[in-house]
Amino acid sequence: MIVSEVMTTTLVTVTPDDTLSHAANLLRQYQFHHLPVVRASPTQRTWVTEQQTQKSKAVLEGLLTSQDIDMAAAIGTQSAGDVLQRPWQERHVAEVMHSASITVTPTTSVAAAAQILVERGLNCLPVVEYDDAESREQNAEGEPPAVLVGLLTRSDILMAMARALGAFQPGMQLRISLPAGDMTPLANLLLLAAELHIKVQSLLAAPLEGNLPRIATVRLGTIHPAPLLLRLQEKHIQFTFVDPS
Amino acid sequence: MQPRRLVALMDLLENSGLWHSSDERQCLSLRAASVDELGLVHTSDYIAAVQRLGTAEGHNENALAEQYGFAEGDTPALPGMHEVSAGIAGGTLVALSAVMGLPEGGIFNSENERPLHVFHPAGGLHHAWAEQASGFCVYNDAAVAIAHVLRATEAKVVYIDFDAHHGDGVQRAFYDDPRVMTVSLHETGRYLFPGTGDVLELGKGSGRGYSVNVPLEPFTEDDSYIEAMNSLLPPLVMSFAPGVIISQHGCDTHAWDPLTHLELTMRGIQAQIQLAHQLAHSYCHGRWVALGGGGYDLYRVVPRAWGMLWAEMSEQLLPEQLPQEWVTHWRPAWQASEEQEEAAQQALGKAPTSPYFPLMFQDRAEDFPAQPRRWTITHTNRRTVALVRHLVVPPPVRHAFPSTQRQSPLADMYGLLHLQGSQTPSRTETLETPAGQLLLRDFCPPSLVERLRADSGLHAFARIPEREHQLLLSIAKSPDCALTLAHTHSGEIVGQVTLAPGSDWWEGFENVYEVTIEVSSQWRGLGIARHLLAFALELDALDDMILFAMGLSWHWDTEGLHISIPRYRKLIAQLFASEGFEEYATTEPDISMEPGNILLVRIGKRVDQYTARRFLNRLQEEPRYRPN
Repeated sequence: MIVSEVMTTTLVTVTPDDTLSHAANLLRQYQFHHLPVVRASPTQRTWVTEQQTQKSKAVLEGLLTSQDIDMAAAIGTQSAGDVLQRPWQERHVAEVMHSASITVTPTTSVAAAAQILVERGLNCLPVVEYDDAESREQNAEGEPPAVLVGLLTRSDILMAMARALGAFQPGMQLRISLPAGDMTPLANLLLLAAELHIKVQSLLAAPLEGNLPRIATVRLGTIHPAPLLLRLQEKHIQFTFVDPS
Repeated sequence: MQPRRLVALMDLLENSGLWHSSDERQCLSLRAASVDELGLVHTSDYIAAVQRLGTAEGHNENALAEQYGFAEGDTPALPGMHEVSAGIAGGTLVALSAVMGLPEGGIFNSENERPLHVFHPAGGLHHAWAEQASGFCVYNDAAVAIAHVLRATEAKVVYIDFDAHHGDGVQRAFYDDPRVMTVSLHETGRYLFPGTGDVLELGKGSGRGYSVNVPLEPFTEDDSYIEAMNSLLPPLVMSFAPGVIISQHGCDTHAWDPLTHLELTMRGIQAQIQLAHQLAHSYCHGRWVALGGGGYDLYRVVPRAWGMLWAEMSEQLLPEQLPQEWVTHWRPAWQASEEQEEAAQQALGKAPTSPYFPLMFQDRAEDFPAQPRRWTITHTNRRTVALVRHLVVPPPVRHAFPSTQRQSPLADMYGLLHLQGSQTPSRTETLETPAGQLLLRDFCPPSLVERLRADSGLHAFARIPEREHQLLLSIAKSPDCALTLAHTHSGEIVGQVTLAPGSDWWEGFENVYEVTIEVSSQWRGLGIARHLLAFALELDALDDMILFAMGLSWHWDTEGLHISIPRYRKLIAQLFASEGFEEYATTEPDISMEPGNILLVRIGKRVDQYTARRFLNRLQEEPRYRPN
């Protein structure tokens, strides 16, 4: 599984010149915690109007989290006596955002992205592309600008896992024991399912402890498993369909 | 879609004299649902695909079949399936419309001829999704009929699903709709199709709290099932106040069914039917539509179960014996498939049953030996039910319908609060408000509550003032509860405070009590709540107790008051803070579900340190793995 398959692509973004009150309203309205800060790519000035159906070419400037806003608000209240200080609502996003130095690309594997999230204690990773062929413009460091294509949050990964477990389709679960990690019972089950025209919605055979998977969990799209279960019994394949009584 | 079982049912009804196909007064004229009506629930491309796949030339379009769930397994594309399924959906729509008095239900000479109850055994195809066929179901007839009623009237609908499989299609169709409450009692989806139906699937958006799921353990059996059903359905229907009940009576819950493991007998199935009937008369002016559904022991279970349903619905006496002719006619059909079914039952992990064709409507108890882990299963189910009650039944309704198993160790609340003895049975006080003088009175006896009436603005929990009054009456009758009322001189109740033992979540504590408060919407802003609460909590004995109040944002009348949820939350916190309550964070499932919810606790001055600490630990306990 790679990042582009699970990331969120319909994004709500702010620009560096937006005010914090605007950003706070967006966060409240959508109940998010992260806003990518983007500016339109100079070569693609019309991205808002013309490219709504295509990938929007927005250059990633940084990331604004609800924490950043909380902090700005807290500092604002502390130094309330200072007349020259603007209220936090009027400050600009550029002043409080932090640079999104850790990013992933659409082809990063989900496993690697998950590891980054956990190791760095992050909740969200911007997904960027560097298409240097198209845009000649380069920033101060001589790198091509990073075009924001999506956002990968912890919930995206959790949803991907739920989908991988087949949770979004109606189906029943069957557990197959794999003695000594031998996959033959599983292979036989799949052949039988194909023969009986039963849809296999998902299949999980991962080692929970040790190196070898001992149990496979199969999600099958049928309300009537009895014919399949009878054939499994015939072939002496051990399965669990109900907790033993 | 197994017409044989319906033929067997009709034959049984005719033979036992319960129903005659020639009697026009007992039949409604059917019609198919139009594409427009199906479109209330299903997407237009799905309906088009069903039509296409049902024709001779479209039959082999595999890509189409794949996309809409007809490719493999349970729901193959069959010729003419659109017409058949639309016919079933139309039947349920006509049935519900007739009961609701809508023109689609047909025209009757007088209101007396309009049916109050209708049974539609072909209906109940509860697995169909908006854009996908699933589990033998093509069009979701119940959802189509409910959607039609929602469009044509202002009524609210409660849908009760007794099928052993989760009613996922109907739940999905109305997941965010507060006008439809779906309640499904089913075998847990841990292994069984369709895998959904967890307690925490509660609805979303404004429909939060209107999808109710009771996943029961495999091998539940009659007693535990009936207990679960009785402690949930009456309070739910009472608090929702629907205009009509539509119930799905899939009888695959029966022990002989080859697909599931709930192991009920006819006794459990009859209890379902009687409860649905009784609820319809108590809370919906008798309006009730019953549907068929699952049921895969075609000849031994389905005809008897639905024959029983029809007898109950038409208020006829159920004969004890099955008619002899019927048995001789249908026994061979069962015998033909007997061996195969027996093997299937064992593959499912069920104990072998006696190969026996029933001769009576009721089952013989000796054919159903007790399941080995009965005690454990009963307890697991009780915990599930306690959690559901906790999540979806408002506190005062819960107190009025106490779960049968739990009684306060200290029988009498009054005795408990008057340890020193007291001369007068209850205290009274007058309260001057800008809107007039009020009488406050604690420990209101049932006789007093009977003489009073509920003010028209008092409907937060049962939605209708008369029912709120009934609710208060049941609370007053319960020895576990203490009811404090504020009423006018003319006998109108404008506010109430209830003290009752904490629900099952607080099991193991003897002195934990829940406080609930309600003030009529027409008497707000006069400081009544504050006075009433102070008056109710004045008793010295309360210092020996831990009191708590739960604010659940979905019960709050934020619209009536025109304030936001956080603001309401603050108001409640301030109100209770005046009586020494403090806000606590907790893992208690109800509170932790929404950030708007709030738990307020007052630990009495004389509560010992150990109990207090144990209580605070309980607040932070893991919800699922609570020691029993």
